[in-house]
Amino acid sequence: MVTTTSRPTATAEIATDTDPMNQPADTADKNREPARSHVSNNPNPVAKEEAMIEVDDVSFSYDMGKTNILRNISFNIPAGKVTALIGPSGCGKSTLLRCLNRMNDLVDTSKVTNGQIRIMGQDINAGDVDPIELRKQVGMVFQKYNPFPKSIYDNVAYGLRIQGIKNKSKLDEAVEKSLQRAALWSEVKDRLNSSALGLSGGQQQRLCIARTIAVSPRIVLMDEPCSALDPIATARIEELIAELQEEFTIVIVTHNMQQATRVSDRTAFFYLGELIEYDDTTTIFGNPSVTQTEDYVSGRFG
Amino acid sequence: MQPESSNHILSSFDSELDQLRIDLIQMGNLVLRAFESSVNGLLEQDIGRCNDVIADDDIIDQKEKEIDANGMAILLRYSPVATDFRAAVSTLSISRSLERIGDHAVNVARSGRKIMKHGEFPEVRLVEPLFEATRDLLNKALTAYTNSDPQLAMEVIEEDDKVDKLHNKLSKGLTTMAGSGGGDVESILHLLFISRFLERVGDLAANIGEDVVFISSAGDIRHA
Repeated sequence: MVTTTSRPTATAEIATDTDPMNQPADTADKNREPARSHVSNNPNPVAKEEAMIEVDDVSFSYDMGKTNILRNISFNIPAGKVTALIGPSGCGKSTLLRCLNRMNDLVDTSKVTNGQIRIMGQDINAGDVDPIELRKQVGMVFQKYNPFPKSIYDNVAYGLRIQGIKNKSKLDEAVEKSLQRAALWSEVKDRLNSSALGLSGGQQQRLCIARTIAVSPRIVLMDEPCSALDPIATARIEELIAELQEEFTIVIVTHNMQQATRVSDRTAFFYLGELIEYDDTTTIFGNPSVTQTEDYVSGRFG
Repeated sequence: MQPESSNHILSSFDSELDQLRIDLIQMGNLVLRAFESSVNGLLEQDIGRCNDVIADDDIIDQKEKEIDANGMAILLRYSPVATDFRAAVSTLSISRSLERIGDHAVNVARSGRKIMKHGEFPEVRLVEPLFEATRDLLNKALTAYTNSDPQLAMEVIEEDDKVDKLHNKLSKGLTTMAGSGGGDVESILHLLFISRFLERVGDLAANIGEDVVFISSAGDIRHA
């Protein structure tokens, strides 16, 4: 039969991992509260070797450092996995996402006021890093699909042409491959020269994904990619995310909790500019360590 | 114990989870009463009581169906996560265990009726220690659920061994008795069945204990 000590509970494991002085208590009841108060916000960290992106003590401000929107954020985003950033509006998750390809550079007064963001070991805010080059490596898909008012073909070929590729057969090949990877090829192959704006919303979003991956980035950032789509189009994008993660490291901001549980391997919960908890997605939604996380994911906030 | 948590933003989510919990506690009371009646009917030679247990099992079955439907509706409508998810899923699991305890009460009542129809059989008293231990276990399991008390639930899981031992002792005694011609064989056989039913009730009470621990700690302690 079952005994108390034969298998520690999940919370007990966390408690002993983070605090070696914390004696394992003999019941689940005793374990729960200490685990919650002593646990770090990153009880199950991603090792440096597995990290594609290292966010190291980052603070960020939109007003030259007067107020920090992000405060001392540290966590590693693993390579070849999907990482979800969740939290209520204004918690800083989209700001952090835009830090990862320096989209915030477009706002004059914004800056990283503390810490480093390293991608494959390289500090992306170092003086010699060209943000345009960085964005080739770190592509982005936005909440509202935004194809150019051009043909389907030209949308996908856009980034490649900017890179100087003019060879027609090379472009043809890359456009077909990208559209196939974005699961759109069979729907558009007979009308590549029609306007992208004639596609449905879901198709336009997949076209934007094809455009993003055409330049072979290492990382794809997605800022609520499904929030403007119907459930069928959403399911197609989620299916696509699962396929793309084999090739790309994906970071996705989503307000849809169920979507985060379906598509992501790791989840980071942000609140008021702080990283509250970062762990495997199944832990964040199944048995989070921090009460605030549980309150948010189970709809108890406010 | 659960940490103090604020209410859900959706008040209907709170009220439906509360109702599910209240329904399960009510079902637990019905099952406990049926279980006690079935054994007391036997001990007090009261066929009417045994008949009532058999007839009232329908109410328990209906309650299980109601809890299943409401639990599934909560899963569908609110997609609960974390503690809410464990509470909803475990409630469904506990209602299944309770329904089976109800079935065992019916089994005890049926065997009891057969013993009574067979004439005087004072050896039924031998079942008393096992009955009391099983009743205590079930009572504790239900209290552990009602009070969200994983520590008490752990006690239930540990004390199930005691019920198993009492069952083994009783069945050995009854087997010896049957072999030595010490009583009516058919009645001895039915008492042996009853001993086995009580032992199963103890196991199901322990399963309820495991569910209570799972709700509060997310630890799966089954088959550990």
